[in-house]
Amino acid sequence: MIDIRRRTTYFFLLVSLGHVLLISAQVQSKSGMPLLEAIAFGAFSGVQRASAGFADGVASLWGRYIAVHGVVSENVQLRAEIAQLQGQLQQKDAIAAQAHSLEALLHLQQSVAQRTLAARVIAGDPAPGSLVITIDRGTDDGLRADLGVITLGGIVGRVIGQPLPHAARVQLLTGRGAGVGAVLEQANAVGTVQGGGDTPPLRMLYVPNSYDVKAGERVLTSGQDGIFPAGFVIGSVTLAERGSTMYRLIAVRPSVNFAHLDVVLVLLDAPPSGAGTAVGAEK
Amino acid sequence: MKAAGVVAAIAIAVALQLTLARFTVGSRWAFDLVLVSVVYVALRWGPTAAVMGGSLGGLLQDALAGSTIGVGGLAKTVAGFATGVIGSQFIVTRPLPRMLLVAGATVVARLIVLGLFGVIDGHWPDVSWLAMLAETLLNSLAAFVLFQGSESLPGMLRRGPSRHSSFGKRKW
Repeated sequence: MIDIRRRTTYFFLLVSLGHVLLISAQVQSKSGMPLLEAIAFGAFSGVQRASAGFADGVASLWGRYIAVHGVVSENVQLRAEIAQLQGQLQQKDAIAAQAHSLEALLHLQQSVAQRTLAARVIAGDPAPGSLVITIDRGTDDGLRADLGVITLGGIVGRVIGQPLPHAARVQLLTGRGAGVGAVLEQANAVGTVQGGGDTPPLRMLYVPNSYDVKAGERVLTSGQDGIFPAGFVIGSVTLAERGSTMYRLIAVRPSVNFAHLDVVLVLLDAPPSGAGTAVGAEK
Repeated sequence: MKAAGVVAAIAIAVALQLTLARFTVGSRWAFDLVLVSVVYVALRWGPTAAVMGGSLGGLLQDALAGSTIGVGGLAKTVAGFATGVIGSQFIVTRPLPRMLLVAGATVVARLIVLGLFGVIDGHWPDVSWLAMLAETLLNSLAAFVLFQGSESLPGMLRRGPSRHSSFGKRKW
């Protein structure tokens, strides 16, 4: 007769082996939305909406009737309006930034205003450090994978995976594996901003050592990733050092305060191809 | 019954995690209520249930996060099994040992996740030790609330109606 403790150990080893095989399968081929992911996301998005509604209801009860009567509803409406206006303002900034570059003039006809859609954050990190949020808009609202998401101040992230009819996941820019095509506003050098760091959470890669990069300089989207139009604010340089390879080590502080994400804007249109190549020409 | 209890505990923990983590996105104050729930399952029902709970909870979190499925599952399976074995070998009934067990499980699970991502990415990821410390503290605190609550709630519920009924029956 098998000892129960040994049986538990066998069970543990079997389950662990299953996990390792599962990981190996994905690392080799990661295409489409896995079945388990689709089922889990589908099942819990309903729970998320309900729990977010409940949490909002409790918060609303407190805010409306106990803490500050009447002010909260006005505040929520104003914040949504501000988010909308800020998005429009960013589009204007983006167009203005492009106009400063000669190459941008060539693509001026292509730099059309983006359609945006306001969405509410209904769930946070499923696991610590995953840096994924869930919003209350989905395919019924025109969302699909790889749409850009912005908020007051700049870039938030992008929609990942296949959205559900009324929910979608957004990978934050600071998340592991997140990246966006970027350009330094003054140095005019293009590169890629990647998340996943600790302090600072963002790094700009592939900027040659020959460029003079100063702390405080703004980092904007280059438009080369096909997700964000050129000119949107990503953050500012906090540290720029000469790297041991041919590229500089550049640390970037995001302009968005990810701790206060409540309402975000989804960019419903992908930028025209090549629209963002205006800035960042080789010196 | 045990399996239903494990599934219920994990499902409630995932739902709570999603709801409460909404208020800490982007901050250093991360917590993992699913891991706390796995330790609860381990101490209540033993290592086999903990392996089931850890596996289920971790897989759900991986799926919801859109990351590599199995990384969190493996981490929580190992953490659940270890805490289950410790719970079956030693008497872990007082709050402090339980909190220490959760703290240990948090560190083990986090290091496994980091190690696996290191293997997948080909380089050791950036580690925020401060964030890990904050997560350990918050998880321990959540464990204290969960364990104390789960033990004192049945007694409170038993005492509650009798007190109310005696009050209700008073003749004025």
